[in-house]
Amino acid sequence: MSTLLQQLVNGAILGGTIGLIALGYTMVYGIVQLINFAHGEVFMVGAFGALATFTWVIPEGVKGTWYITLPLMVIAGAVISALLAVLMERLAYRPLRNAPRLAPLITALGVSVTLKEAVRLFYPGATKPIPFPNVFLTGSIDLGGIVVAKTGLLIIVVSLVLTTLLQLYINRSRMGRAMRATAQDPDVARLMGINPDRTIVLTFALGAVLAGVAGVLYGSHISNISTDIGFQNGIFAFTAAVLGGIGSIRGAVIGGFVIGFVKTLSGQYLPGGTQYDYVWIFVVLILVLVFRPQGLFGETERVRA
Amino acid sequence: MTNVVSPQALQAERTSPTSPMMRVLAIVGAVVSVVAPLLPWVTFVLNDGAYPDKSTLQFFDAPFELTGFRWELLLLAVLAVIASVFRIPAQRRVLRGLGVGIAAIGVIHFLFITGHGGGLGAVTAADGAFAFGSVAAIVGGVLLVVATVGRAMEDVPVWRTDIPAPLAYLALLVSFGALLFLVSMTLTAGGQGGAANPYAGAIFLSFLGFAAGLLAALSGVGALKWISTLSEQHRWFSILVLVICAFGLPFTDAGTEYWMTVATNVGIYAATAIGLNIVVGLSGLLDLGYVAFLGIGAFVAANLSGAAATKFHIELPFILVVVISALVAGIFGAVVGSPTLRVRGDYLAIVTLAFGEMFQLSARNNIGGLTGGSNAIPNIPQLEGFGTKFNEPIDLFGAKLPGGVIYYFLIVLLVGLVMAVFANLKNSRIGRAWIAIREDEDAARAMGIKTGQAKILAFLCGAILAGIAGAVFAHKTSTVGYESFQFMASVTLLAAVILGGMGSIPGAVLGASLLFVLPEKLREFADYRLLIFGVALILIMRFRPHGLIPDRHRRAELVGEDTSGHSLDEVAEVRIEEAEAEEVKAR
Repeated sequence: MSTLLQQLVNGAILGGTIGLIALGYTMVYGIVQLINFAHGEVFMVGAFGALATFTWVIPEGVKGTWYITLPLMVIAGAVISALLAVLMERLAYRPLRNAPRLAPLITALGVSVTLKEAVRLFYPGATKPIPFPNVFLTGSIDLGGIVVAKTGLLIIVVSLVLTTLLQLYINRSRMGRAMRATAQDPDVARLMGINPDRTIVLTFALGAVLAGVAGVLYGSHISNISTDIGFQNGIFAFTAAVLGGIGSIRGAVIGGFVIGFVKTLSGQYLPGGTQYDYVWIFVVLILVLVFRPQGLFGETERVRA
Repeated sequence: MTNVVSPQALQAERTSPTSPMMRVLAIVGAVVSVVAPLLPWVTFVLNDGAYPDKSTLQFFDAPFELTGFRWELLLLAVLAVIASVFRIPAQRRVLRGLGVGIAAIGVIHFLFITGHGGGLGAVTAADGAFAFGSVAAIVGGVLLVVATVGRAMEDVPVWRTDIPAPLAYLALLVSFGALLFLVSMTLTAGGQGGAANPYAGAIFLSFLGFAAGLLAALSGVGALKWISTLSEQHRWFSILVLVICAFGLPFTDAGTEYWMTVATNVGIYAATAIGLNIVVGLSGLLDLGYVAFLGIGAFVAANLSGAAATKFHIELPFILVVVISALVAGIFGAVVGSPTLRVRGDYLAIVTLAFGEMFQLSARNNIGGLTGGSNAIPNIPQLEGFGTKFNEPIDLFGAKLPGGVIYYFLIVLLVGLVMAVFANLKNSRIGRAWIAIREDEDAARAMGIKTGQAKILAFLCGAILAGIAGAVFAHKTSTVGYESFQFMASVTLLAAVILGGMGSIPGAVLGASLLFVLPEKLREFADYRLLIFGVALILIMRFRPHGLIPDRHRRAELVGEDTSGHSLDEVAEVRIEEAEAEEVKAR
């Protein structure tokens, strides 16, 4: 029983990370119908950006003080990710807005490869995993035999809080309404005085901020990062977004948690163990796409080209 | 409207000759380009040794003894002189092509020499000596290109194709022979990369610039289109000649064991890329896990080869192994394709990616003891036949051929076969059904096409081709492990198809050749290979989404042009204005 609970907690921690990344996928896909393959790399760059800030920007004296270091790193990760996403949208995706659908998808693959390689080649020491500082939040909490790392708890809390905030922002604010309108019909939205270009850039930036935050939290939880974390977590996050119903905010996060649970539980209980836990995620993905393409919380399927 | 020129004016511009001033500019550019190869290119001997081709100042004793890249440059430049002095058809297109080629050669060597020589001093002045060769080439090339700006490009001239068959055969023979020569030169240009030959990469890239300039000029005057129309008219003859030409490759300069190995690998990936072309190019179903089928074919063949590391120790005849590999890969193809019944577009891409990752993970974990896991399956025996092992050197028609040449012959036959299958499929009923599905699935279904069957069949055919290629791959490399079949390999194959031009056969072969030869040539940039690859993907999608050799219909679909290359908007506008003029006349 305690094994099961422990695995559920582990799954929730992984799920929180994946959910945060999935939000970016779901928002971008909802508004421009693009699988932004490079979003996973944005997450990775966010983590590296925070690491760079820790290594070279934050003064030696305050590195151990978590309430100074952590916010600074989170802000740095978020800002770098957002800048990157805006650049990416402006340079790679916007020129292809009216191109056939295959073109931006392949561009996204190209951006993904480019970002990963650029970090691997130009970040000092990134050819192998780099230790990520977590001096500011160590130790764990013991809940009757179940051990929860403090960083893990932070991931779960932050992912839930940010999702709620995002949900509120999109449902209540003026810009959120513009985003929903652009997602429904960009041409009519333009007639209503909305600037679709600005709305789309903002969507990319918001998704990237969440991914950047996730990158920092992930790094301090796992306590090392490598250039490979982007692709794998990106695929999981996309799976989560599809599972939850693409375009749905709460769906993405719930999908993230489901993926987290599937990974840890299948690693524990299914034949093959942790060697095959990724395979089960893909099995879930395929089953969902085949039998419920609109996802768990998605609207009923619109006609897609 | 961004275009302020009226369609009629544009039409007039297309047919009008280049203005006198621009022609003078072009002639100046051409003459500067002719001078460029006769100048020295480097002011001193670089650290890695003399720059090839006597172009270092110290070695500059015989400026007219041109070889290598300077000879290529001179050829382009002389062509440019001819094209700018005489009034040839499609002058601007030809001049632009040549200019880009000349400038490319100049830029590549300029960058390389300054990079290696530690700054501008290497190409301009050192100790009072000047070596302006590369600068002159850049200036000449740019002048040629500038001379073509300002007026719209002419239409590509259409040559007569209703010529008697013997003449057509002769033209095809000559052009394919030239192609063989070009391929052989491309393979050997710059020699093997690596530490022993630090200039290989630059020489090879500059050769590519030369080839691109030459081909652009040929395509500008309409020669390439003429040849391709002729080869479509005489399809079987062309395939036969192409295969014979390919058989001739080992008899040229490229006939060493190293280049045979490279050519064989390129052939394997080309066959696979053509298979992928069925799925992506014809049917429009994006497959991001395609390399898994190559892997399945390879692992099946490895397990049936009697290699010591396998589970069963069965050894079957190669022909049978090929059939079984193809069947197994085909079955998996149908399974992977089955979600297409319900899943469309981007979602399908993700499903195929998931299948690809599942295959890769299973192979990595040595599923059922069939894949060898991280140890791979080593020591797969070489194929035997004709009284020799396939990797041994042989004597043929009195010529000594290097090792691995039989594999090369085998793969040439395979690629020829795959090309023939693909060409026939494309023009068949099922091929047209695939294209219809690509264009509009709902409309295709309304026209009575069984879209589900057709889509699964596309996956099945693609997978079978990849499975066959995989069987050869296993014996050729003699080691099969999961590392050869990771996501990047799928992306590279996809990029080969897109780079070449989706739905086009020569495009897939060209794309595969470029993407799998370049890493061999650019060893010294090996670290940056993937970075360059990623940037190239972005740039290709931005500036040439229809690939290098686009399929005419596919191109029409991607860039909104009709099949003869005119923008659809313009065509529509001309038609409307013509109709209006008619109406006025009628009144």
